[in-house]
Amino acid sequence: MALKRDDIVPVRQRKYFAKDFDALRAQILEYARLYYPDRLRDFSESSLGGLLLDMAAYVGDNMSFYLDHQYGELNSDTAVETINIQRNLRAAGVPIVGASPALVVVNIYLQIPAVSSNNVIVPSAEAIPVVKAGSIFSADNGTNFILLEDVDFSKKKSDGGLSATLQVGLRQPDGTPRTFIMIASGLCISGTDARDSFSIGNTFTPFRELTLTNADVTEIVNVVDDYGNVYEQVGSLTHDVVYKNVLNTSSDNELVKDTLKVIPAPYRYISNVSLATRKTTLTFGGGSADTLEDDVIPDPSDFAISFPYTKTFSRISINPQQLLQTKTLGVASVNTSLTVNYRYGGGLSHNVPASSIRTIKQLEMFFPSNPAPSVASAVRSSIEVLNPLPASGGEDAPTAQELSALVPSVKNSQERIVSKEDLLARVYAIPSNFGRVFRAAVRSNPNNPLATQLYVISRNSEQKLITSPDTLKQNLQRYLNPYRLISDAIDILDARVVNLTLQFEVMLDPALNRNILLKQILTKLQDLFNVKNFHIDQPIIISDVVNSIFTVQGVMSVDRVEFRNINNTVNNRQYSTSTFDVSSNTKKGVIIPPPGGIFEIKYPEVDIIGRAV
Amino acid sequence: MATYSFKSSGKTVEQRLVEKIEATRIPIGIKTPLEINQGEGADILVTYDTLEETVGDNLRNLLLTNWGERLGLYDFGANLRPLMSELVSLEDFDSSAIERISSAVSRWMPYVSLDNYTSSTVRENNRNLARINIRITYNVPTLNVTNKLLEINLNAM
Repeated sequence: MALKRDDIVPVRQRKYFAKDFDALRAQILEYARLYYPDRLRDFSESSLGGLLLDMAAYVGDNMSFYLDHQYGELNSDTAVETINIQRNLRAAGVPIVGASPALVVVNIYLQIPAVSSNNVIVPSAEAIPVVKAGSIFSADNGTNFILLEDVDFSKKKSDGGLSATLQVGLRQPDGTPRTFIMIASGLCISGTDARDSFSIGNTFTPFRELTLTNADVTEIVNVVDDYGNVYEQVGSLTHDVVYKNVLNTSSDNELVKDTLKVIPAPYRYISNVSLATRKTTLTFGGGSADTLEDDVIPDPSDFAISFPYTKTFSRISINPQQLLQTKTLGVASVNTSLTVNYRYGGGLSHNVPASSIRTIKQLEMFFPSNPAPSVASAVRSSIEVLNPLPASGGEDAPTAQELSALVPSVKNSQERIVSKEDLLARVYAIPSNFGRVFRAAVRSNPNNPLATQLYVISRNSEQKLITSPDTLKQNLQRYLNPYRLISDAIDILDARVVNLTLQFEVMLDPALNRNILLKQILTKLQDLFNVKNFHIDQPIIISDVVNSIFTVQGVMSVDRVEFRNINNTVNNRQYSTSTFDVSSNTKKGVIIPPPGGIFEIKYPEVDIIGRAV
Repeated sequence: MATYSFKSSGKTVEQRLVEKIEATRIPIGIKTPLEINQGEGADILVTYDTLEETVGDNLRNLLLTNWGERLGLYDFGANLRPLMSELVSLEDFDSSAIERISSAVSRWMPYVSLDNYTSSTVRENNRNLARINIRITYNVPTLNVTNKLLEINLNAM
């Protein structure tokens, strides 16, 4: 059917490209002049028409801004409001953590009276104590370290000898030992133990939330109520069982310290950390205790024979973390009080240097053989502690930007380690009470196609690279194991630190002060070679260094840029023991680190030397 | 006797008067303070039909506006109100007011040429409260408007 003239409806052209005040004002003005030329003509700034135009443009500008803002808030890269960053992180599964504590092995020294046994002078067995977990030692900078495990000085090796190191202390006038010094080690974690109590009224509140008073909680030790119910921490309230490390009491306990048990957890909670305050909030279950009878472990045969009277059945799905026949999402008691024991505190300052933990703040000691009070008192007063190695693993709380940077890797990972990215995400997301690696890198194992090499490195309190402590690597091993595919192997290795010095020669503008210019260049290079800018296996591109020098105004030419390896002890400065031939590893202006290596200019104030010619 | 062709016949001289065509009225600006249009026409508000009236109204609004009052244009206006709060102590009130007025006019209404400024203080019954009466004469050369008078009153604070 032909289009008649009357059918044509005039369409007013609108443009939707304007987004800011000026563009909107210009478009509204154009629209008004085009379609309402007979209504009003004065739109100058000083007129009422101009005022109305400004108001309309202002409203449009505001709406445009908030539209952009809201879209930005949906993305973890562009979100700026703390609460939205927090939601994005949670949606992506990135754990929000506070400052991490440092781990350190502390040597405990005791003086034990000597006794004669079968004509052999040995430490008095009844005077040998157990220093109990929870004892608190203090470093010179005031940081407290809590002993994580009982240190039993009477523990024996498989050959029957004492595990503790033995040295002769005081001697009798005839030279025979009067006392022995016993030395045993215990793992300590920095932080402070705290306890919060919450009174729960008679009214049942589903998904009750309780916020702990201290920020940077590194571990919730336990949560119990007045009835003795122990609440278990779960990843999600739908998880109604927990996997727990239980002391292995069987004969193979020398080889296998703990066994993993599945324990039903009708009383459970999840914990969330606020990004703004770094305080931890516990959220309890949504069911009341009346429904507790449903929370029982079902007969395993219910799972084994899903369809007992059928000859065929299709694939069934099983969530191994949900074995209880319950829909309560956990129960929470009422009319009681909840006690939460936890540990908090951490940061780079907790990476105290060696031999700085010397003060005993709180000692919990137990004598299994019940010696005379005077002997116990003498042993107790003789105790001393010292850390032979620096504490490490302490890190300041990651910023919102640092956490957001983890989103892409965590989003793509799952509760299993399949790809290299999964592995790295797991390593960086290790619970902070196990310590923290500074950098990690993954390489294929050239000798085993099913194995992966994981290189890790930590920082000390001076932010210098140090080899990650063995305890941290053991924790890493235990932490990664449940996520590992059964046929995969992960070799945890120390990243090789390659210390370098940098020497350069530049030609400077003679009209300018050469000392000031050199200082500016040195500052620039010190920023460039900040260890924060380096990763494992990251090469150094020499052109980047030259470019960085050229960014200082007054530099006319760069004559020489030379890197040299520095190692061992030089002028009382301790470097890494790694030797590295810079020239043979430089290809086309790129210095390539050794496999699993990381470059570091350890003392930039002396290791970067510049000369103006 | 003259001879006429009928073809030439038409209207009488009276009848040949040019037909009066009413010009289409196009409003230029809205009158302030706003008033509902009670008269003829489609406009809801009373509007000005001449540039002269519109300029006068805009100038009045410019002088009565203080900084921060105009949405989106912070520094729009003559900003005379702050002078009123210093009225008692300010010896050179007039020179300050003239400077502010001429500065605002040259920026926002540069087509207006200011001519004369006179001010008087009206104290009425209260010695502590005063009202300043400012009278300005101005020209708009591009419109051939000369010697127009604008009178504004400012209350002291």
